[in-house]
Amino acid sequence: MNRQPTNPYALRPAFSDNPGNRRKQAFVEADQRRRLDEIPQRPADIPYFVERLVNAAAAPKRRPRIGLLCNVAPVEIVMAAGADPVRLDCGNSAAAVAGEEMLAGDVCPLAKATIGVFMREDGLPATCDAFIVPATCDAKRKLGEILADYGPVFQFALPVDKDTVRHSAEAAAELRHLAAFAGKVTGRAPTRKALRAAIALTNHRSDIVHRLQEARIAHPGALSIRDLFVCIQASLFSPEPLETWVAHAENLVHAVKAFTAERRNLRRRVVLTGAPIIWPNFKVLNVLEECGALVAADTLCSGAQACIDPVVLAETSLDACFRALAARSVFGALCPCFSSQATRLSRVLDLVEKTRADGVVQYALRLCQPFDIENYRLERVLKERRIPFLNLRTDYSLEDTEQLRVRIEAFLETV
Amino acid sequence: MITAGLDIGSTTSKAVLLDGDRLLGAAVVPNAALPSASARLVFDAVLDGSGVARGAVGAVATTGYGRRLAGFGDFVITEIKACALGAVRVGSPRGPIRTVLDLGGQDTKVVAIGESGGVEDFAMNDKCAAGTGRFLEMLARKLDLPLEAFIAAALRSRNPIHMNATCAVFAESEVVSLLARNIDKEDIAAAAHQAIADRIGAMVRRVGQQEVIAFVGGGALNRALAAMVEESLNKKVHIPESPQTLVALGAAIAAGGRAAEAAL
Repeated sequence: MNRQPTNPYALRPAFSDNPGNRRKQAFVEADQRRRLDEIPQRPADIPYFVERLVNAAAAPKRRPRIGLLCNVAPVEIVMAAGADPVRLDCGNSAAAVAGEEMLAGDVCPLAKATIGVFMREDGLPATCDAFIVPATCDAKRKLGEILADYGPVFQFALPVDKDTVRHSAEAAAELRHLAAFAGKVTGRAPTRKALRAAIALTNHRSDIVHRLQEARIAHPGALSIRDLFVCIQASLFSPEPLETWVAHAENLVHAVKAFTAERRNLRRRVVLTGAPIIWPNFKVLNVLEECGALVAADTLCSGAQACIDPVVLAETSLDACFRALAARSVFGALCPCFSSQATRLSRVLDLVEKTRADGVVQYALRLCQPFDIENYRLERVLKERRIPFLNLRTDYSLEDTEQLRVRIEAFLETV
Repeated sequence: MITAGLDIGSTTSKAVLLDGDRLLGAAVVPNAALPSASARLVFDAVLDGSGVARGAVGAVATTGYGRRLAGFGDFVITEIKACALGAVRVGSPRGPIRTVLDLGGQDTKVVAIGESGGVEDFAMNDKCAAGTGRFLEMLARKLDLPLEAFIAAALRSRNPIHMNATCAVFAESEVVSLLARNIDKEDIAAAAHQAIADRIGAMVRRVGQQEVIAFVGGGALNRALAAMVEESLNKKVHIPESPQTLVALGAAIAAGGRAAEAAL
């Protein structure tokens, strides 16, 4: 089932039994939950999303489960094969420390934290029947082989650039391979009908996220960016049915749209771009909001960008579905693993205009080279257009919170 | 109106008293354990030094790391903005200051000032002591030299060697191995200064190096470092008369501005 030829050097999966570290992982989550409780304006439905996100590992297993890393492999194929997709990238700083049992200290914290959760026998990955690991950055590319020790892995190949003339057919073919893999895991090959039904469901999610975004632009302050992230991540990082999420999220949209501000919101609006901010690593979001910034929109693969773009189906064949999924998930991705950053730049500029933002803040995850390198062009392109820009280079640990606060406050004073 | 600016930094606290445009006094004190104690100490010091009664001070602005922890003060301002205000006020014989390099104990900042005198852009070092004043203090201790002697040694060096400044902790062990190889302390001291100068020089270049460039903060008192920063930038830097209290001066100016706004 492994897409790679059988690895003659396969190892037994490594697990870590460190009660102190487990305690710290729980503390990190509980601490961020406390920070969420301090948000002044919260719609009534938010606790559902918090619970769904925080208790993802304890969700009852109702059918096969396939774990995914990143946001470039279409979950619709997993759903059409009769499995629950769940994203396994991790934002827990204590899990990153656990991951150092296997990976060197100066590997990307997201990769370390993700492996740190695989090393838990009671973790969400342990409930999965297979994994999809895209060859996005170097860390993910190499994690694929390690994760194959924990279960069948489909290493999802990606084109280096977004030249659709050159790569469209190969991307669609890769999705056919993915469908075959998922079908083998569940014993149910995705049919055209099942795929269209899955696309209809995720398009409903896109529509909800789009309406939330529009409502937030119209009424800044109606929904905190942290609550928006909790809501979106509760749909991606939990294996529970998307249908239930959709029902609650519709209520949330109503609540956010019904919000009326007592007075005009004068807070500075920023567009957030950069590396994924994943629960419970909301440090940058906490500080941004505490300093009085209003994050009006984002391009993060763990935020609105993860699911705001719908799949546009022009034809109804299975091949047409694969092409449409590739267009949304692969060629529409803003991930810096592709050679050109033009898609992300265009999206950032578009959002600045739409949200009438005062500036752009980039979250550059330390040890993530692609974002660090893209910073060069991003900064110059924005400055040429006289759009204030702040690059926040930080990692999962909390020790630089005060330094971040100085930068953010000074940036908000400047814009 | 008399206003005070308190800059509660990571290593020292600074205070400036202003009466309108007139400087009444300035003080620098090493930090106490808690920022609130440091704030009280430096405020007392500047009041004592200038003979101004506490009750005569109309507004107090706090800045620096301890800006929200001072326990008193009427107004909080970031050190970035305070730095720009201070630099605009002091100016330089060569014209207005457009770039400020502020080397403190825990961080290094570069502030670009626009033509109108506002902050145009800024940069700070990442969370790491390797590009800061603390780096030099640690290496001076490792060489068993007081800071002044360490600076003087760097100025005497005739055989420069190369050292990296990527990690303050590892730099200490690099110093140990250099000593074991009988490298002169002068040359090690010079290499440590050079390493910092190169890092902060690159930071200034990233922000742009519009002249006049001012060098402020505790680091600007270091003659060896100032010379090497100039070499690294290939430009002259201007060191104001009291480089350590420039940010506190900016805070005192801001306090005056805010008090005037409030009076309207």
